[in-house]
Amino acid sequence: MNWTTLLVSMSPEHLLLVGIIVLLAVDIVFDRPRGHLPVALVAVIAATLAASALAIFGYAAAPFPGQLSVDSSAFAAKAIVLVLAIPALLLARDEFPDGPFYVLLLSSLYGACLILSADSFLTLFLGLELMSIPVYVLVLLAMKRVEATEAALKYLILGGTATAMLLMGVSLLFGFTGSLSLDAFGRLLDTGSPMAQTAVVLILLAFFLKAAIVPFHTWAPDAYEAAAVPVTGFMSTVIKAGVLLAAVRLFGFNSLSGRLVELLAILSLVSIVWGNLAAIKQTSFRRMIAYSSIAHAGYLFYAFLGDGEGRFQAVAFYALVYGLMNMLAFAALPMAADDAERDRLDNLKGLFQRAPFAAVMIAIAMFSLAGIPPLPGFVAKFLIFRNVIEAGYTLYAVLGLVGSYLGIYFYLRVLQYMFMSPAPAGLKPQPQAALALGAMLVCLVPAVILMVYPGGLLGGL
Amino acid sequence: MGDAVLLNVVLYLPLFGIALIVAMPDGQDDRIRANSFGVMLAQFVITAILYLRFDPNIAALQFETRLPWIADWGVYYHIGLDGYNLLLVLLTAFLGPLVVAGAFSAIQKDIKLFYSMVFFIQFAMLGTFVAQDLLLFYIFWETMLIPMFLIIGIWGGERRIYATLKFVLYTAAGSILMLAALIYLVWSQYQATGTLSFAFADLFGTKLAVAEQGWLLAAFALSFAIKVPMVPLHTWLPDAHVEAPTTGSVILAGVLLKMGTYGFIKLGFPLFPQASQLAMPLIMALAVVSIVYGACLALVQTDIKKIIAYSSISHLGYVMLGLASLDLLGIQGAIIQMVSHGLTAAGLFLMVGMIYERCHTRELAAYGGLAKALPVYSVFFMILTLAAIGLPTTSGFTGEFLVLLGAFNSAWPKHLAGDSAPLVFAVIAVGGVVLGALYMLWFAQRFLYGTTKIPHGPVLDLNRREKLILAALMVPVFWLGLAPDEPMRKSEHAALHFQKLVAGAQQPDALVAAPVPFAQRRMEATR
Repeated sequence: MNWTTLLVSMSPEHLLLVGIIVLLAVDIVFDRPRGHLPVALVAVIAATLAASALAIFGYAAAPFPGQLSVDSSAFAAKAIVLVLAIPALLLARDEFPDGPFYVLLLSSLYGACLILSADSFLTLFLGLELMSIPVYVLVLLAMKRVEATEAALKYLILGGTATAMLLMGVSLLFGFTGSLSLDAFGRLLDTGSPMAQTAVVLILLAFFLKAAIVPFHTWAPDAYEAAAVPVTGFMSTVIKAGVLLAAVRLFGFNSLSGRLVELLAILSLVSIVWGNLAAIKQTSFRRMIAYSSIAHAGYLFYAFLGDGEGRFQAVAFYALVYGLMNMLAFAALPMAADDAERDRLDNLKGLFQRAPFAAVMIAIAMFSLAGIPPLPGFVAKFLIFRNVIEAGYTLYAVLGLVGSYLGIYFYLRVLQYMFMSPAPAGLKPQPQAALALGAMLVCLVPAVILMVYPGGLLGGL
Repeated sequence: MGDAVLLNVVLYLPLFGIALIVAMPDGQDDRIRANSFGVMLAQFVITAILYLRFDPNIAALQFETRLPWIADWGVYYHIGLDGYNLLLVLLTAFLGPLVVAGAFSAIQKDIKLFYSMVFFIQFAMLGTFVAQDLLLFYIFWETMLIPMFLIIGIWGGERRIYATLKFVLYTAAGSILMLAALIYLVWSQYQATGTLSFAFADLFGTKLAVAEQGWLLAAFALSFAIKVPMVPLHTWLPDAHVEAPTTGSVILAGVLLKMGTYGFIKLGFPLFPQASQLAMPLIMALAVVSIVYGACLALVQTDIKKIIAYSSISHLGYVMLGLASLDLLGIQGAIIQMVSHGLTAAGLFLMVGMIYERCHTRELAAYGGLAKALPVYSVFFMILTLAAIGLPTTSGFTGEFLVLLGAFNSAWPKHLAGDSAPLVFAVIAVGGVVLGALYMLWFAQRFLYGTTKIPHGPVLDLNRREKLILAALMVPVFWLGLAPDEPMRKSEHAALHFQKLVAGAQQPDALVAAPVPFAQRRMEATR
């Protein structure tokens, strides 16, 4: 084994690992451990930079042939996932001044990085579990609220179901092809045999569950609502991006055909429509974002209808823009006396009078999530639907766009609360934490760059 | 090259304006107003220079900038001026300072955000007009929703939230299908020619089957017709106008509604010529229905703003009629009518705003005999009213007369060939002029004459700022009425281009007669 290759090709993972070890060492050595946030932050930023640099240089290698390989698109995917974790970390200090939060978050990121370079289902499974298990605990960490336990349990059980389905699908796949490699999955796609189809569908269902596609979405609103804000942000952006980008890797350059197209298109469409409609009547911000993220998962899976080349570009760009904007909204969410209070949509009423900057930030996020130009969410959505139309599924594209139209209203309602409603009486303005400001800038600056010149990133993906 | 930079300056000055006023400290409201006005005025001056330098003898795009934007998809940042957009850009830039000045006393709440949004919508409107790339056009087109949503929603009247949501949801419904259509259009063009391009020029002359064209035209036309608005898609307009602050109404009536007709002339019809030819009778019928129905509704309104709102529907019906006539005079008339309506409707909404600031009601029945109490106001109001109904020497006459002339020009040969429908439409449209005179003059009579009734009166007549705004508006109203030659020469190439693209396209179905050669002959004979 070539040690240099191993060191370079997995450097983002190594950097995260170093961070985890340092955090654990700090916990053991010091009586009153401090400095968790800086350590975790440095580790994630270093990993992001390493992944971006390797992506730009186009480094490609296979440190564990057949199990794990990296190329520039794998690094780009990792960079996207890692950069979305930075604002989540910056937001975490108020809720989690120290403790296991940071280690768990870094382990989850390690898992996310692993699945993005997996070549076999063994690595994929390992990475998925490494990514998910810490998140169950992260949801539970917000024990301040009673519902956290219930939500974490629900999430755990459904996550376990997803794992079980994945394993069943993989065992069928192994039985059919005698191989555990991801390429074998690609070969299965065109096979008509019922066993192969079952394997494909089972594996796909695992991804649907993890990405919260209707009808496998019921865990998401509860888990998003119960978790603390940084954890919700982490789940709705990093985990979702990781799962979707891993799915892109799984499907490779294979075009979908036959019933699989219908399955994918209809479930995505139902997610878009149901997510957008259910979001309208929510009174809690995080629940609303949960339903919106169900709709966005639908758009992301829509991209799979397109051909192989455009798929990665579309999903990567969309996941990045969507993640940045979601995080921006969470970062700008005003502080309140307690967590449940902070979550109420009514709490946003008259926000522009109290905190103009935060209100404008949330407004930008909402317009972008709604896909209204010139914000980058539009280009992302355009990219997806362009791929769908180019693949010849015009009808699905039109239906998807109509579904996305249904989503405009509830985003506008947030705007209406912030700008057009008077503030409720007795609400004290809370100062914006400096770290939250930093998190906003981390989201805003790349988003503005993507808005002004999307061609730069798209040319590289 | 230097002039191309000037056009970019015009486009981005509003963004500079936003940066300028956001950077200013709070509490200096007067300076924010003054600076906003200054930036808008500078924009108008530069636009006027560009207008003067525009060469009417060149058919091609002038002051062009073309840079790769999303190179992978063949999307270019491509802007420029031509006969289609020149007058509309000038109109937008001209109304900018007037809009800002008109809001000096009316808007007291959140004025930084307010002027930012005015600048933002100015940017989006100019961008929509100058864009020469389909995706760029769409982005600017949709961007207009954001500032308008906030302007109506924050500074509007009592039912502002209902009105602004209705406005956004209506407009977005149209454009979402346009997005699907434009992707499909570009993709099928790519299939046919092998070049991936969103440039307008590359997309004209598609070889799509007529059925396909029909679907795409329907998607584009839905979006444009909602913006115009054409009956039966007009119901958002009265709500938006009534609830919007004066500034919002002025922008809406002055420029925003022209987006729809501009979309039709620049894109909708030329992109899908064969389908458009087949759809023309329907378009013409809807245009005439808009003219008559809008006028009838205006006749029975009791709210001053609603009268003007419904009159907009009627006036834009003439624009659509002129375009659908496919006659050179009709097309040029339509372009002039767009500008003319922009001037008169903006002026009338400004004047309604001025009286509303003084009397706090828009009920027509509450007013009477303003001519005695507010003589200067009444003179300006009467001039704008007469311009709106198309009295000779005003801009309204030039527009409406040319449109009707064009409609008859193209209808007569069809009538001789046995198809009398266009002639019937043209005759009804002439009847619409009478209806227009009826509701506007009746409105003016009840408003300005009779026994003096002034709610919350007595009130002062116009102050100097208001007089200057209205005096400035009079200049182009009479300019277009007395000497329309120069602006018409600058838009002539565009009208010819439009006519060639739409009417000149060969119909695969030989049964559809082409009316154009005759109309052209007559045109040449009359010159």
